[in-house]
Amino acid sequence: MAVKFFGQYLIEHDLVTSEAVLRAIELQERTNLKLGEMAVAMGLITTRDIETAHAAQYSRDMKLGDLLVELGMLTPVQLQDVIEHQKATHIYIGEALVKVGALTPEKLEQYLDEFKADQAQYIAERVDLPPWLNTDKALWEATVDLTYKMITRVIGIQFRPGKFEEVSKISASHLIAAMDLSGDVAARYLLSVSEGVAKAIARAVLKEDDVENEPEEIIEDTVMEFVNIVCGNVVAKASQSGLLLEIAPPVTIKPQANGLPVPDGYRAVVFPIHVSDGETMEMAIFVKGA
Amino acid sequence: MKKVLVVDDSLSVARQLEKILSESGDFSCVGHAKNGAEAIKMNHAENPDIICMDMNMPGMDGLTALRSLVVLDKEVKVVMVTSLGGVGDKFAEALKLGAKNVISKPFEADTVLNVLRAL
Repeated sequence: MAVKFFGQYLIEHDLVTSEAVLRAIELQERTNLKLGEMAVAMGLITTRDIETAHAAQYSRDMKLGDLLVELGMLTPVQLQDVIEHQKATHIYIGEALVKVGALTPEKLEQYLDEFKADQAQYIAERVDLPPWLNTDKALWEATVDLTYKMITRVIGIQFRPGKFEEVSKISASHLIAAMDLSGDVAARYLLSVSEGVAKAIARAVLKEDDVENEPEEIIEDTVMEFVNIVCGNVVAKASQSGLLLEIAPPVTIKPQANGLPVPDGYRAVVFPIHVSDGETMEMAIFVKGA
Repeated sequence: MKKVLVVDDSLSVARQLEKILSESGDFSCVGHAKNGAEAIKMNHAENPDIICMDMNMPGMDGLTALRSLVVLDKEVKVVMVTSLGGVGDKFAEALKLGAKNVISKPFEADTVLNVLRAL
């Protein structure tokens, strides 16, 4: 019921042992060279060049490959050559499991098909986004779409996605739960809910029919946990396309009567989620430096 | 009946897991720690057979706590229960540090119980 890593799926379905997956991961780590390691292995640069580039990365927000080109250590053609060699020699977890003897090629093919069918429900559908989110379009589409999918799967309420709107503040509501994303992007994911929606989330997360007597602390906690589930699955989805993200623990924000302003240096978009009459739900993404 | 310590900063996840464990008939929940440092203290005090632990927690996170727990207690079996389970690097790191399995959130009761019974 979540975005999964193939090795995890195999262990969960008792198709391989965790020890076998660990052996396969170790084989991948020995075989799959990082960009700098590959450039050294190809005799294009030295390990000292990598150390120099890594030191320069502290003050420059650039990928190692681009930095090696800028520092004159690699030509753009050589960089492309290194990337192509990396791709050509890369072994995936499935192949590694075959190599360590945990799966036959036939079983790998069968399990991969089953895994793809299981994960098909998490293939992000097309979502309208403002043009300034196009840099990491796949990530933001997955963020919006996984929110919709988790509303259906986890909360189980009917809703209709609304058209996005660029905003300078989020309108006041009962509760906002938020989570910071860092790494390859700097952003904040927020979910703003009315009291009725917060209680619907609490009923679903706690698997209780009635939450009227639950303390506010527990209701807030369930909304934070829902945000944690969405963002964790977004990070997992992003990692499949090589985007490295970290999440901080979720927080709740009680907005003032005039709403929650977007912090300086951030650009914000809100996606209204139309639920039953009288209740409101909005997802917002604040992106730093967009 | 096997003793399980739940480690998660979320009160609602702790409630969910406690309910699943108590209704199973095979496991009893011996406590709830809210971060890695509390988990290490409660592991010493309660001596559980199994620890179900989140990764992303304020204070000491789950992977840091796992690193200490496997050194301090050779017997305890740790299963990570996390929304980050599908992140290949996190999954690999957890197994390398000694976790027995990684369960992704959202989870179903059957998945949790199948994993714990297989330990």
